[in-house]
Formats: sequence, structure tokens, C-alpha cells
Amino acid sequence: MGIDPIGYKPWNGRRTEHNRRFLVIAENIVWERFRSKPFLVLFILGAILVHVFPLIFYSIMPHSELEADLMSGYMGDGLFLIFNITLVSLICADLISEDFRSNSIVLYLSKALQPGRYLLGKWLGAMVVLCLFTLVPPMLVATAITATQDGSDYLGSLAVLGRTFLAGAWTALLLVPVGLMMSALTSKRTYAGVGAFMFLFILTIIAGVLGTFSSDWQLLSPIAVLEHTYDFLFGLDVSNVNSVLLVPMVIMLTVPPMWIVYQRILRKGVGK
Amino acid sequence: MGACNRMERDSSDSTIVSDGLLVRFGSINALDHFTVNVPKGIVGLLGPNGAGKSTFIKTVLGLVQSDSGGISINGLDPREDALAIRDMVGYMPEHDCLIESMSGVDMVAHFGRISGMSKEDAIPRSHEVLDFVGLGEERYRPTGTYSTGMKQRVKLAQAIVHDPGILFLDEPTNGMDPLGREEMLELIGRIGASDKSILVSSHILQDMEKVCQHVIIINSGRVVVQGPMRQMLDQGKGRVHIKVRGGSKALFSFLEALRGRYSVESVSDEFGQMTISFINEGDSGPLLEMAAHAGVQVRAYYPDRISLEDVFIRSMKEVA
Repeated sequence: MGIDPIGYKPWNGRRTEHNRRFLVIAENIVWERFRSKPFLVLFILGAILVHVFPLIFYSIMPHSELEADLMSGYMGDGLFLIFNITLVSLICADLISEDFRSNSIVLYLSKALQPGRYLLGKWLGAMVVLCLFTLVPPMLVATAITATQDGSDYLGSLAVLGRTFLAGAWTALLLVPVGLMMSALTSKRTYAGVGAFMFLFILTIIAGVLGTFSSDWQLLSPIAVLEHTYDFLFGLDVSNVNSVLLVPMVIMLTVPPMWIVYQRILRKGVGK
Repeated sequence: MGACNRMERDSSDSTIVSDGLLVRFGSINALDHFTVNVPKGIVGLLGPNGAGKSTFIKTVLGLVQSDSGGISINGLDPREDALAIRDMVGYMPEHDCLIESMSGVDMVAHFGRISGMSKEDAIPRSHEVLDFVGLGEERYRPTGTYSTGMKQRVKLAQAIVHDPGILFLDEPTNGMDPLGREEMLELIGRIGASDKSILVSSHILQDMEKVCQHVIIINSGRVVVQGPMRQMLDQGKGRVHIKVRGGSKALFSFLEALRGRYSVESVSDEFGQMTISFINEGDSGPLLEMAAHAGVQVRAYYPDRISLEDVFIRSMKEVA
């Protein structure tokens, strides 16, 4: 170390627009996740167990077209959902908690970046990474099934492909807020990761116990919410689902968690 | 309206102008009708813990909203133009704030990009500022492994990476060894020399005395005293001290001559050496002639200056 006798040089470059700077945060999250060995191992393992086998199996099996109930069943599979929950816990664990712990949140908020944009950057980064598991592989599976179909109704298959896209994005959309909320509630990444997993898992267990009294209680489970919304997105019969309860449950899993995260960021910004 | 006009008039030679700023946290007034003109140059913001230094900086950055009063930074209001202000401001927080998993160079480039630099600009610029702050090959290591001195340098680097016109440095020499402190002060001086306005908050008053051109002392959310450093330290108003040595007859002859021409305030005589305090707002030429004429040897001649610590303690006592 030590200082060389060099002078301070000004920078005269052109600045990017304020409302695009959250993309830097999102981009950084994507690179950071794929540099993390535990994440990569889980991601690859999950891809092999959840996506590679169905891709091969469904492609080889004779089929006339890509069917909505097949894709809904594949995306609502228990293993897929458990990997989703595990991944969202791992992806979101340190996204905000680490900034709180290290106090780097102060640096972010002292730059020309509004708290909402900071949150948007974190959310987008988590969404992109999770979508690489929940959206891209199902799209590949659906594309492979469409490419190997015997029938000629490609338009129908394309429609299911579009619904698969929506279902993949929806999975990430529903799970990321809970992961971010847990990350914002603590400054320890382990607590945040375990907390997000347990929150989603315990709700599922409670739903299972209370579900013996009334099937409406099943909607307490995020997994059940995902399964029912897949049915809705794939245009399947949802008459057995209490949609009056499903909508508030979807809102409860997304809006309050994001509001809590935003409030926590605001409070940290003023040093509380 | 009146406050605004006054602020516009005052802001011509000031970087930050606040007029009757009130910031409340519950029932506590963190800033209590805080009125200050922060001039250009290196300005020291001094005050005990909880005086309101950090709250003032956060209010300027728009992170804390004021309840009443006016504030402007280079003519912009942080309540309306927070993002524009933050683009022209660099902030070095007091506490640890580095992303420990990132290397120094990656972190500085990351915050450069968040401050509006393109990727192509941010990477070479981060190397440039890390060279400037004196961080060598360590820049490629995760910041979690850095010593306190290195962390302070990276914090400074991230604050200047986007070349802000105004810098807020909160305890920049905190936890640094004497050599590191000297180097940090030298860096602040160099940045200040490149036409930047720097607001330095610190409780190490010797450091402030070395580097600041202007001082603002605050306590309990109010400005206690503010003014140029030279004026603050020169509280003697022409009072000087002279130490002379010689025979007792010559010494008393010199003292009499001195009394005839100047207003002598105190005299102490110790073993053939006399220390005389008197008021002399002119130059020292006639004085030396008088000494030569009386046959005494001048051993020392110096103005009566007080330290910043004296100014600070005196200000705090006055408030108490």
C-alpha cells in the first residue's frame, strides 16, 4: 500500500438514466448466483431430477400433441415444487439480509437509486435466476414434446407452450416475495434461507392438517395455490377450487411480503 | 418565500444552505432549526455523538425528510431533486459498509455503475480511483479480508468513482494507524485541491485542524459556531508571545521599552529567560530592533493560537 504521487482525475463520461440503474443490481445477482457452487450443484441436480427425465420420457412416448393437463401435472409435481421452494430459499437468502448486515444498503441508498428501484433490482435478479429453473426447462420440455408430436395441431401445442411460459413465470412470481421478505426480516442469510423454506413448508403442513376438516384449508399451502393456479393458467377445470379464497391467498403471498420488504428498506435507509 | 430568497442569495458562494431546518424523530429534534452555510472547499463538521451530523448528511442526501425549514444543495432541493443531488454527491459512511464477497475493484465498479457509469467506463475508472487511494493488488481480494485502512480506502474510492462535485466523508480516518491517517488526510487534501467541496465529519480534531479550511461545530441539532479555520484558531486578536534571553539589566531594559510601545499583558521570568505576552498587530521588525538595541537574544516569537480542540471544548461549555 501507500500513496503514489498521482493526482485526482475527473471523469467526464455520460451517465445512464436513473430508472435503468436497478438493472445493474439484477445483473449482479444473476452473475453472483452462477458463481456460487452450492447453488450450481442444487440447480444442476434439480434440472436432472426434475426436467431431464420428463424431457426424455415425454418425447419418446407416442403423443399426438402437447396437452395442457400433461404440462400442468408435470409443473405441479411434488419434486418440482420442492426444488422450487429450496431454490427460492437459497437464491433470496442473502439478497437483502447481507446488505443489511454489511450496511452496504447505506451505499446503495446514498446513490441515485430510489428504495423502490433497489427492491425492483433485487426482485428482478431473483426472478431471472428462479425462472431459469421454473420457466426455461419447462419451455424446453414443452418444445421437445411439440417437436416430436405425431398430430398436426401445432397451433394447439403452441397455445399450451404459451401457457407453460406463463406458468413458469408465475411460479417465480409467487415464490420470490416470500424469499425476499425473509431476507429483509433478518441480517443473517442462514436464518433467511431456513426461514423462507420453513414458512412455505410449515404452511403446507398446516394446510394438510386443517384440510381434513375442510378442503378450503388446503389453500393455505403455497404448493396447493401453485397447483390450482397452474390448472387455471392451463385452462383446466377449476370448479372444485374455492376461487374466492384462492385470490386472497395469492395476494397474501405476494403483496404484504413485498410491502414489508419495502418498509424495511426505507427504515434502514434512515438508519433505524 | 422569504427563506427561499435568502437561501438563493446566500447560495452563490455556498455548496449547502439550510435555513431553520427541523428534523424530528418522534419527540426528539435531531436537527433543531438548523441554519448553516456550507462554503466551498474542505469543511469540517464537528460535534459530539448524537449532535446531528449524520442526520444532516442524510437530510442532504434526501434519505431523511425534514419537517420544516429550507435546504438546498447547489441550488437543488433534496425533497424534490434527491436523485440529481445524489448524482453530484459522493458519500463515505462512517461504519463498515462494504460488500464482503466482492473484490475491491468489483465493488467500486459496481457502485460506479449504480451511480450512472457504463460498464465500459466503470471498470477502468475503478482501477484509476483505486490507484489514487493507494490500494494495490489487494483490490482483487474480497473486501471481507481487508484491514481497516484498506476498507477506508475502498470506501473513499466508491465515493469518488463517479467524480462527484460534493463529497461527504463521515469519520474518514476512523480506526486507521497514524501513517494511514496522514495518507487519508493527504488524499482528502488532493481531492479538495481539484475544485471539490468536501464536508468531513470527524471527532479527531487534530485531523480536522490539518485538512479543513472551514469549521462548523454543532450540538443537539443546532449550529454552535461556524467560520473559517484560520479565524477560529486565531482567537488571540494580535496577541503574541516573545521569549528573550540575556542579563537581567538588559531584560528589564527591553521590557520597559516594550511597555512603552506595546500593550504588555503578562511577563514571566525564569532563570535569565523572559516570556512576554503582548498585543502586536503589526510586523515584527521594530520589535527585533528593540531587542538588538537592548542587547537581548530573541529565542522565540509566535502568535497566540488556540487549537481546534480548545475551540470545540469552549463551544460545548458555552452551550452547556
